[in-house]
Amino acid sequence: MPQNEYIEESIRRHGRRLDYEERKRKRAAREAHSAATFAKTVHGLRAKLYNKKRHAEKIQMKKTIKQHEEKQATKKDAEAVPEGAVPTYLLDREGQQRAKILSNMIKQKRKEKAGKWTVPLPKVRGITEDEMFKVIKTGKHKTKQWKRMITKPTFVGEGFTRKPPKYERFIRPMALRYKKANVTHPELKATFCLPIISVKKNPQSPLYTSLGVLTKGTVVEVNVSELGLVTTSGKVVWGKYAQITNNPENDGCINAVLLV
Amino acid sequence: MALYNFKKIQPVPSASDFLDIVLSKTQRKTPTVIHKQYKIGRIRQFYMRKVKFTQDSFEDKLKAMLEEFPKIDDIHPFYADLMNVLYDKDHYKLALSQINKARSLIEEVAKEYVRLLKFGDSLYRCKQLKRSALGRMATIMKRQKNSLGYLEEVRQHLARLPSIDPNTRTLLICGYPNVGKSSFMNKITRANVDVQPYAFTTKSLFVGHMDYKYLRWQVIDTPGILDRPLEQMNTIEMQSVTALAHLRTCVLYFMDLSGQCGYSVADQIQLYHNIKPLFANKPTFIVINKIDIARSEDLSEEEQVKLREISEKENVQILQLSCQTDEGVIDVKNTACDKLLAARVEVKMKSQKINDVINRIHLSEPQPRDDIPRLPFIPEAAIGRQPYDKTDPKRRKLERDIEEENGGPGVYNVDHQKLYILQNDEWKYDAIPEIMDGKNVADFIDPDIAEKLEALEREEDKLEAEGFYESDEEIMDSEEEEFKRAADEAREKKKLIVQAHRTNKMMKNRPVMPRTATTKSLEEIERKLGEFGIDASAIRTRSQTRSRKRKFDESVGDAIVREESRARSVTPVNIEDRKIAKMKKRSEKIHKTAQRQANLYARAGESDRKILMKKPKHLYSNKSTVGKRDRR
Repeated sequence: MPQNEYIEESIRRHGRRLDYEERKRKRAAREAHSAATFAKTVHGLRAKLYNKKRHAEKIQMKKTIKQHEEKQATKKDAEAVPEGAVPTYLLDREGQQRAKILSNMIKQKRKEKAGKWTVPLPKVRGITEDEMFKVIKTGKHKTKQWKRMITKPTFVGEGFTRKPPKYERFIRPMALRYKKANVTHPELKATFCLPIISVKKNPQSPLYTSLGVLTKGTVVEVNVSELGLVTTSGKVVWGKYAQITNNPENDGCINAVLLV
Repeated sequence: MALYNFKKIQPVPSASDFLDIVLSKTQRKTPTVIHKQYKIGRIRQFYMRKVKFTQDSFEDKLKAMLEEFPKIDDIHPFYADLMNVLYDKDHYKLALSQINKARSLIEEVAKEYVRLLKFGDSLYRCKQLKRSALGRMATIMKRQKNSLGYLEEVRQHLARLPSIDPNTRTLLICGYPNVGKSSFMNKITRANVDVQPYAFTTKSLFVGHMDYKYLRWQVIDTPGILDRPLEQMNTIEMQSVTALAHLRTCVLYFMDLSGQCGYSVADQIQLYHNIKPLFANKPTFIVINKIDIARSEDLSEEEQVKLREISEKENVQILQLSCQTDEGVIDVKNTACDKLLAARVEVKMKSQKINDVINRIHLSEPQPRDDIPRLPFIPEAAIGRQPYDKTDPKRRKLERDIEEENGGPGVYNVDHQKLYILQNDEWKYDAIPEIMDGKNVADFIDPDIAEKLEALEREEDKLEAEGFYESDEEIMDSEEEEFKRAADEAREKKKLIVQAHRTNKMMKNRPVMPRTATTKSLEEIERKLGEFGIDASAIRTRSQTRSRKRKFDESVGDAIVREESRARSVTPVNIEDRKIAKMKKRSEKIHKTAQRQANLYARAGESDRKILMKKPKHLYSNKSTVGKRDRR
């Protein structure tokens, strides 16, 4: 019975077959050819996948080549610039570099300032009532059509009790109720799964806001006590607004970005 | 054979391979064509199936993996400890539990998305939901990358572990590194363990098998142990300790007195004392190896005393051998095996189980029933017979001797023919042809042929005597023939009737003229009746008497002359004919009018009342919608 490292042992004792190295070399040499044939003949989904993979590989290859080249390239040292008399066109080299950084900083600040009073998603696609509500036929002969079922994800507060079914105009299905959202902190670049407290505003209509419909662009209040954010006065913040950035009805989850 | 077969575990694919396998399986085994104009229920069902199928295939694969990997708590403590030493129990358990967790997470995701898909109201939404469901499953699986990699490594190593049966008869060889454990192993088994002149050549347990007393023995070669506390031992040493601790074996503690191994005798004795607790309740031997270089007698007085102390105090026998010169190797093996066997029997006798077996064993000791001696029977011819002795000049002459006399093998052929048993001895050397008349004679040889022939002749005689052959064969024959012919005819007839019936049936209950309404010619009647074997001459005469005119000469010959009869009224033939033709015409007309309706509706006859489809769909429907009908 072969046991332990019997393969290595056998190679050590008897060696490999005589043409092992040659075959290995030849296989490596042919690899490009076989890959090319494959790339030419493959089609459909596999081709897509293959091309994507190959694309990524090529990018990686080019990057590494570039890195190597950079290593080899001689860099000019800033301190090696000869002191003393320098022609005018060379005077501001360092200063210019610095100016560029400054201007970037200014841009950044402006951007931040502008962003403070806007939301990440200023515009949303309009959703018609047809899309939002499904008409439910009721009555003995299924002739009454005053009931609606909401076909989008909703947030329903904790203490909510349904009205008696006979009078319930809007039905929010249990399967489409959500309690938590994946909230990204734009500065920390980290995502947390936080409980939703309420729906602040649905840009589509005030009706949807009151029904707690969660669509793309909806602003919700989330519980950020886990994050341990503190106000300037030292109090712990626990409610913050976040805007939904995905289509929850298509993704089955809610992704939001924290409004800071 | 083996208690555990770790080789059977299926390979664990890497995380990305895992995804490829599962997703391509989903693509292959679920329907792929869907259109947005399909009913929404169908679209939902299509995507739900995809999600569920993917989850199922994940589940299948992960479950199989979890079942195949041995559970450390369930296997023999030896293997459990070995796995702990080699792969770290906590790490192993954690990896498996993570896989289990991934499995349940995937199940949850699938459940959630199937629930969401029930509310999908368009193909796009359903597709997106399916996409994110598979994506989430894939993410969960991708996170298992490290666990899967680890488990694959464990699997590969497990498959290469020696298949040690923890319960069988086992010799276990242990000692310092480089004292000749593996050499001894190679001497007594075919394990072919690597032997090198440096320490820790053997890095793991090796198992070999040998036969002794018609039993199968397992020999385990362990890596060398250094004299240090258990906590400081490395993985290699821990393997030997595990084997020592958990296997009920005969322990052979190897020692090298020559100091070639690099450790002094005192060190080796010290190690023995340190690991002694592991030998408790096991037959133990101290085996001194390399006696071609140094024997125990060559040692200093002090060391000899120490050795003797061990053997006397702990009842441990000291054995000596040299793998170089093969001196004492077999002795050591036999002594060890005998002692282990005795110990095992003793343990078994002490155990509870033995009672179940021992009461079934009965050793019978027959008592002599009387004083008559019952000696073995020896044939008379055998008593005087001399035992064959090659050196004796008066010995029996064998065929071999005759062969030698006549020139040895190749020259002389042993005479088999003289042993033939035949009626007449003269026949013994008769030449028998092998092929005769193009036939193999051997095919036709029947040893009982004479007897059979005789029996046949006897029977023949007897039959002749009884007059069996004198019967009127020919008459019987003709009678039989007649009978047979008739039977054939009857069969033929039957066939025809069946055929006729079948053709009749094809008329499908159409109206048929009654038999009495049709006319049949006399010839036909005659023929038919003749076929049935009825004489039709009476009918012929009857019909003839009616139609035939008496011939003139018939009356002439008569003695009694009848008076002339009254002339009969005869209808003229041409009027009759005309009437018939008229009637025929009329009937034809009636027939045609009667058929008119049936022809109109494509009926087969008046009994055809089939109702075909009243409103064929293709004639009554088109693509026009409500309110456009007035254009057509």
